[in-house]
Amino acid sequence: MIITNNLTKKYGDQIALDQLTLKVGEGEIYCLLGANGAGKSTTINLLLGFTEPTSGNASINQLDVHKNPKATKQLLAYIPENLMLYPSLTAVENLDYFSGISGKKLSTPILKDFLEEAGLQSEAFDKRISAFSKGMRQKVGIAIALAKDAKVLLLDEPTSGLDPKASNEFGQLLQKLRDKGVATLMATHDLFRAKEIGTHVGIMKDGRLKQEFIVDNITLNELEMFYLDTMTYKEETL
Amino acid sequence: MFSYNFKYELKLLLRSRWIQLLSLVLLLIFGFATYNGLQKVEKRKSDILAAKNEVKENDEMMLKLLDSVERGLSVNASPWTIPTSPMAVGTYHPRVAAMEPRPMAFLSTGQADLFTHFVKPTVRSDAFDLNFTEMTSPVQLLFGSFDLAFVVIYLLPLLIIAFSYNVLSAEKESGSLRLLAAQPIRIQSWVLQKLGLRFFWLVLLVVVSLILVFVVLRLDFLSEFSTFLGLVGLILAYTLFWFAIAFLVNLWVGSSAKNAVALLGLWVTFVLLIPSVLNQLGNTIYPMPSRNLMINEMRSLKAEVTERQDEILDNFLRDHPEYALNDSTQARGFYHRYMASQKLIREELAPLVNSFEEQLQKQQNWIARYKWLSPAVLSQESLNKMAGTAKSDYEDYRKQVVAFAEKWREHLIPFLYNNQDFTQADYGDLPSFDYQTKSNNPWMVIIAILLMSIGLFATGFVLSKNRGRNIILNQG
Amino acid sequence: MISKTFIKETKELFREGRVRISLFIVLLLLGVAVWISAKQYQNINEQYAMAKTAEREVWDNQGEKNPHSAAHYGTYAFKPKYPLSLVDQGVDKYAGTSIFLEAHKRNEAQFSAAADQTGLARFGDLTPDFILLFIIPLLIILLGYNSFTKESEMGTLTLLKSQGISSFSWMMGKWSALFFPIFVKTAVLFLIAGIVLNNLNDFGVFNWTSLGVMFLVYIGYYIIFINIVLLISSLVKKSGISLVLSLCVWILACLAAPKAASNIAESKHPYPTRQEFAANVLKDKKEGLDGHDPWSKESKLLEKKVLQEYGVDSLHQLPFNFSAYRMQKGEEHEAEVYFKHYNYLKEQYANQSKVYRNLAAISPYLPTRFLSMAIASTDYDTHWDFADAAETYRIATQKFLNDNTAQNTRYGERGYKASANFWQQLPAFAYEPPELDTVLHRNSSNMMVLGIWLFASFGLMFFTTKII
Repeated sequence: MIITNNLTKKYGDQIALDQLTLKVGEGEIYCLLGANGAGKSTTINLLLGFTEPTSGNASINQLDVHKNPKATKQLLAYIPENLMLYPSLTAVENLDYFSGISGKKLSTPILKDFLEEAGLQSEAFDKRISAFSKGMRQKVGIAIALAKDAKVLLLDEPTSGLDPKASNEFGQLLQKLRDKGVATLMATHDLFRAKEIGTHVGIMKDGRLKQEFIVDNITLNELEMFYLDTMTYKEETL
Repeated sequence: MFSYNFKYELKLLLRSRWIQLLSLVLLLIFGFATYNGLQKVEKRKSDILAAKNEVKENDEMMLKLLDSVERGLSVNASPWTIPTSPMAVGTYHPRVAAMEPRPMAFLSTGQADLFTHFVKPTVRSDAFDLNFTEMTSPVQLLFGSFDLAFVVIYLLPLLIIAFSYNVLSAEKESGSLRLLAAQPIRIQSWVLQKLGLRFFWLVLLVVVSLILVFVVLRLDFLSEFSTFLGLVGLILAYTLFWFAIAFLVNLWVGSSAKNAVALLGLWVTFVLLIPSVLNQLGNTIYPMPSRNLMINEMRSLKAEVTERQDEILDNFLRDHPEYALNDSTQARGFYHRYMASQKLIREELAPLVNSFEEQLQKQQNWIARYKWLSPAVLSQESLNKMAGTAKSDYEDYRKQVVAFAEKWREHLIPFLYNNQDFTQADYGDLPSFDYQTKSNNPWMVIIAILLMSIGLFATGFVLSKNRGRNIILNQG
Repeated sequence: MISKTFIKETKELFREGRVRISLFIVLLLLGVAVWISAKQYQNINEQYAMAKTAEREVWDNQGEKNPHSAAHYGTYAFKPKYPLSLVDQGVDKYAGTSIFLEAHKRNEAQFSAAADQTGLARFGDLTPDFILLFIIPLLIILLGYNSFTKESEMGTLTLLKSQGISSFSWMMGKWSALFFPIFVKTAVLFLIAGIVLNNLNDFGVFNWTSLGVMFLVYIGYYIIFINIVLLISSLVKKSGISLVLSLCVWILACLAAPKAASNIAESKHPYPTRQEFAANVLKDKKEGLDGHDPWSKESKLLEKKVLQEYGVDSLHQLPFNFSAYRMQKGEEHEAEVYFKHYNYLKEQYANQSKVYRNLAAISPYLPTRFLSMAIASTDYDTHWDFADAAETYRIATQKFLNDNTAQNTRYGERGYKASANFWQQLPAFAYEPPELDTVLHRNSSNMMVLGIWLFASFGLMFFTTKII
């Protein structure tokens, strides 16, 4: 479960994130929408502990991120926008390494199970990552999350640059994880994918969370309308 | 985390062919350097041996001559070279005062190409006209020698830099750093482990290739095991120092390119600039007196002394009444006057000659105080001392030779002033030179460099605490 | 198009911190190096002038003395420091500065500065030549290693390609942007050195032409490095690899090759040790005439020959003192022996030089180093030249002294003393280092090697880099 409470980040005078309060419960997929610079990535960086909040706090499963950096990292898995793994290592080796340094010692058959669960074709298990497409690398990323038994998943623009088929497969994977009770926070530009797989949607602008919806309650058209409205809102007030 | 880092670091290094390349490079340069060092030592040994053999042959001739003279036969030699005259023995049959190489002399050429390893002091020799410099092309002195010390001091740090400049930045640049940072680990510890592992592999490769080279070149390093351990310890400490620098730069600087530039700048500073600036400052603060002006003084003194030779001899004999008692003939020739005035010249010039030694000593003290600024200086000095080719070794040897020249003279002078012939029976009593080596202990330097490295690591840890996050966020 | 690329590259370079900082540091180092060298130069030459005058005074004021005693007493030839040693110290530190000129013996120059210094001296000195030969090439690498790789890393390469720029003009633009700051910096250094030298109390051999030629040599050296660095940058995909490769070239050319060359040269063409050399000379000397020994076989032969030549039957009837004549003949024999043995050394050195020239194939540093030292009159050849001049002077001095005895005394006469004002008649020792033309002629092979490097690197750069 992800909870943020008046989470604020300032760089000098510039406000990157302004009093963000949100909650992502177990089995929920929360999609953060917004233009570049709206504060989506800052939110994720704060949840990862990559940067310190100016005020407010963020917690994962009731653990404060900044007081317990190690413990919270144990609980979460993160897939950056462009997931890069070690090109000269194979899929299994990469998975072994990343789960290994987080303290999970797993045998090769189990590692392969995770890769399979993440949807990677079995021929690719022992191939070097240098030959992998972005979609395949992301499957390894999901496998890392699975192997870690992550309770929380943080995703940064995961579907950008994926072809529709890969994007679809990725959505299905996320739903599988949701069914296991994983709380997912996903920053994205992709309204369509957000509507399809998300349970909740938030629209951000200038570091503020402007609107929140439960996905089941609105249609894709409404979502798009709200999104565009929020983006142009400033011009109207001026 | 450690076991996983260990396993995968090795895999990554092997797959990028780093280890293979490094082993090859190390074997090649260690091999070449050791071979060069050994060749120099071989030449040194054979030169000394040849000189000793020559003296042996000469001695046999001398004994034959003495035998003929003693049996009243006429001999075919210039009259002033016949060895019944003690001064002929002292001048034409000098002993070899050799500086035998230490067992590990091949490690470092040091000053070995600049100074000679054997001289033959005669009764006329003094601290002044014994030439201790070797006949070497100055071009060779300028370029220096490709020896193990050069490999360790200059090249090894460059290999380390190439091996470690992008440990963190490469992850950042390829993008895998964000994924890593999302794992429950500390980035500093992770960098430290990575570097530690590279350190481990590098040291392992260095030691293995060193042993391999020594075995192939049939070097008996086991009998000098403590020196060998000192060598390994020194290499280890020096390597660790450069890894500590790499650790700091990795945490501190940013992109791979900037890291490389910063590390290179530090290399230039520690290996090239600090030593040369120290040397030049030493020369400026404690300048050597001018050798040319010294020549002038010596010349005027000699000119003056030559004019007063008779007077000097009289004074000398007055100071040494024992010679007058033992000698019935009271004959006085060239050598009597010459040796007496030489003695006076030696005494009068002593302060001048000593002024060079004193100044050199001051320079050395000055450097000893500031050498801690650069582990390169420390290590070079240590290696030179292990090899017995440091400036101090040659200074020491020079002093021993000067003392021996004195002993040689003192041994023969009573013959001269007693007007006593040198005989076969006196041959066995001739003094001989035995070079005494100083023991040296590199462990203090090793510990000092280790402490420096640990200090750098600690600094890196403490100061980068707040930077941990920035490292991850500042992409590229 | 070349100028556009040039302006863009120059802007990029100067907007980057690393460039500004490194340029500043190198300038600072150069300033310090020139200052130290200028002080040293002045200092040494003052001592030189003092020693030279004092030595001549000692010689002139010997008073009444036998000429052969004066010959044994001897005199000294001192080697001055030449103006361009301010830029390149060459082997000066390792070659002796004074030669003792006495009867019967050719001595080597003694008292090299290095022998009087601590072990640190072997690390090298902070002198202009150190900066010129080592640091500026490093600077070139620093400025140029990512010249091409950055374009693909930043992704600007595709855009450039689509603009239809030609390979040649793109390359030339980058090349001139790298060349320009290096050229300016070197020019400024040489200009300052020239001005400093002009204002120092110089010893008459400084000329701007030599300095200019030296400048050209270094510019050639830098061009070679620029070409290599750009070549690597254009062939390699990543900046990191380009940097490491360029550094390897630098290590190999400037550090490893000279040392390896020195080792190979020594093991293939060794010098004898000082003691061996002396023993060999002694052996050959014994085989000929000894001027001090009237009883030897050679002395008797000479006696017979001279008596025959003059058609007299006793040495007393000769119009000159035969003892002094014999002394001079002995001197000539000894001079020949020395000539032979020193020639052997020179031959060994000539062979060693060939090794250096061969290894110049992997190191443009070597020909540059040799040329630079030669122009600065601080190379080994100049040292040989000086030693030979001193030897010629020594032989002439011996003849001058022996002739005096031979003409002023009769055979068998002892205790002759030349008058007190006789010594001043000996001309003073004067030595001028070789002229620039001679130096360049002597180093034509080094110039050729440098030229080959220059053209080959240009050629490679233009023909193998088809990036666009």
